[in-house]
Amino acid sequence: MSKIQIPLGPQHPALKEPENFALVLDGEMIVDATVNIGYNHRGVEKALENRNYIQDIYLIERICGICSHSHVSCYINAVEEIAKVDVPQRAKAIRTIVGELERIHSHLLWLGVAAFELGYDTLFMYTWRDREQVLDCLELLTGNRVNYGINTIGGVRRDITKEQADEILKKIKYLHERTSYYVGVVTEEPTFLARTQNVGKLPKNVALELNAVGPTARASGIEIDVRKDNPYFIYDQLDFKVITYNSEDVFGRAVVRVLEIIESIKMIEQILKNLPEGPVSVKVGWKIGPGEAVSRYEAPRGEDIHYVKANGTEYPERVKVRAPTLANFQSLPYCLKNGYLADAIITIAAIDPCMSCTDRAIVYDIKKGKKEVFDWEELRKYSIEFYRRKGIKFS
Amino acid sequence: MSELIKEEEILKEIKDKFFEAVENAIIQRKERIWIDVSENKKLEIMKYLKERGYYHLSTISGFDEGEKLGAIYHITNHKIIINLRVRTPKESPVLKSVLPVYPSATSYEREIEDLFGIKIEGLPPGRNYPLPEGFPKGVHPLRKDVKLEELNKMLDEKCAKEE
Repeated sequence: MSKIQIPLGPQHPALKEPENFALVLDGEMIVDATVNIGYNHRGVEKALENRNYIQDIYLIERICGICSHSHVSCYINAVEEIAKVDVPQRAKAIRTIVGELERIHSHLLWLGVAAFELGYDTLFMYTWRDREQVLDCLELLTGNRVNYGINTIGGVRRDITKEQADEILKKIKYLHERTSYYVGVVTEEPTFLARTQNVGKLPKNVALELNAVGPTARASGIEIDVRKDNPYFIYDQLDFKVITYNSEDVFGRAVVRVLEIIESIKMIEQILKNLPEGPVSVKVGWKIGPGEAVSRYEAPRGEDIHYVKANGTEYPERVKVRAPTLANFQSLPYCLKNGYLADAIITIAAIDPCMSCTDRAIVYDIKKGKKEVFDWEELRKYSIEFYRRKGIKFS
Repeated sequence: MSELIKEEEILKEIKDKFFEAVENAIIQRKERIWIDVSENKKLEIMKYLKERGYYHLSTISGFDEGEKLGAIYHITNHKIIINLRVRTPKESPVLKSVLPVYPSATSYEREIEDLFGIKIEGLPPGRNYPLPEGFPKGVHPLRKDVKLEELNKMLDEKCAKEE
């Protein structure tokens, strides 16, 4: 049979990271895959050099809508290290709470998206309904559902009142119940198991060699988590487990994420019950440095790393940002290879690539020299139909 | 400084083994080491580090110091980050690819090529990243001599011409 090449993407202007996959098919098997990215370069790093440190906070917050707090925290840790600021414990605790709430909202969002791509719309509706609870918590604390604007150099911009803490504990308790239910769904529901087990395999040695990060790496049995490896904020005082799983497939990545939600909930409870007293910020001058620092942060998708160089003025000399998705793209072609075309969508979604990807696919038949245009929706339907033919019932 | 034992240990090993290629080696704080290394010994040092468990290349940061361009390789064993800094002259900036040691470096190296105009020797051909197709040739936006206003003006004019 002749080999067929399918370009997936890149047009999806509504989302942040359009990307393109060239998939080479032999029958229904993917034999080769390349990832092409860089369709939406906005020149953020250049823009950061032309703004002052405070302005940069708000620009960095807009690198990513889902993990906005992660990028700002990573940047601010580097700037505060250069400026030798002693951040109050209460501020660190509040940053940690927002960070963990963000992880819960991101993982619930992922679970919903993954379920939707699998054709399991009930789970999608459930998780997105419950995700509203986290967004309410974030709105209560910061005034915003996304782009929280809580961090500033030297601390945080808003304190937590007793009433807010009680309200969050109440909502978190509800989420704990719901997440325990999702753990059951992910590990027992036959539809979910049939579509995720042994799909998108990434063996441990390959994940190590290709430097996978976050839940993708942890599902291949690698114990990598910046919160434990290089503790920042108050993570060194918290009691939590690094969740790993050894199935090395999409199923494992789902298990790791739902169990991480439970760990995050436990952490938030620990902090809110023992919130340190004191001020929430200290004054820091406009001029920073000179000096340089590199800072790592465990974003919902994995290790985020920022390098900041200061020259003693109000403007940074250089800010370098590497988001976790870029690190995980290196191992994605491996995950796609030797899988079915029908599994391509969930395999891509399993690294949680800020769900930008693809809106359009061109099917190119080498033999006939004919092109057909598919969009993401049609490919999704194809994948659901493919498994229905194999006898999986979708409710 | 008993808490810096591991940092001092690995730094001493590198200094002893590659003494002629290492400069300005400092332990900035716990878990942070900065070393200036020479370009021709870079790969050997990385290979050694990888054998010692520093398998994870977090990213590569390019920089422009005026007379010289360069790159910092942030390498970690999960705990300690070793930042290897390499410089190259601005007139003919060339760095060797680190793909033989760190196969995950492709995107990071393309970034250095696009944004700083440093030629990466040994990087397989592919589409450019992250600058879009049709971006003015020979313009490397993160270089300090490229001013934001001029860059914006140039790109506006280019868009106007295409319309």
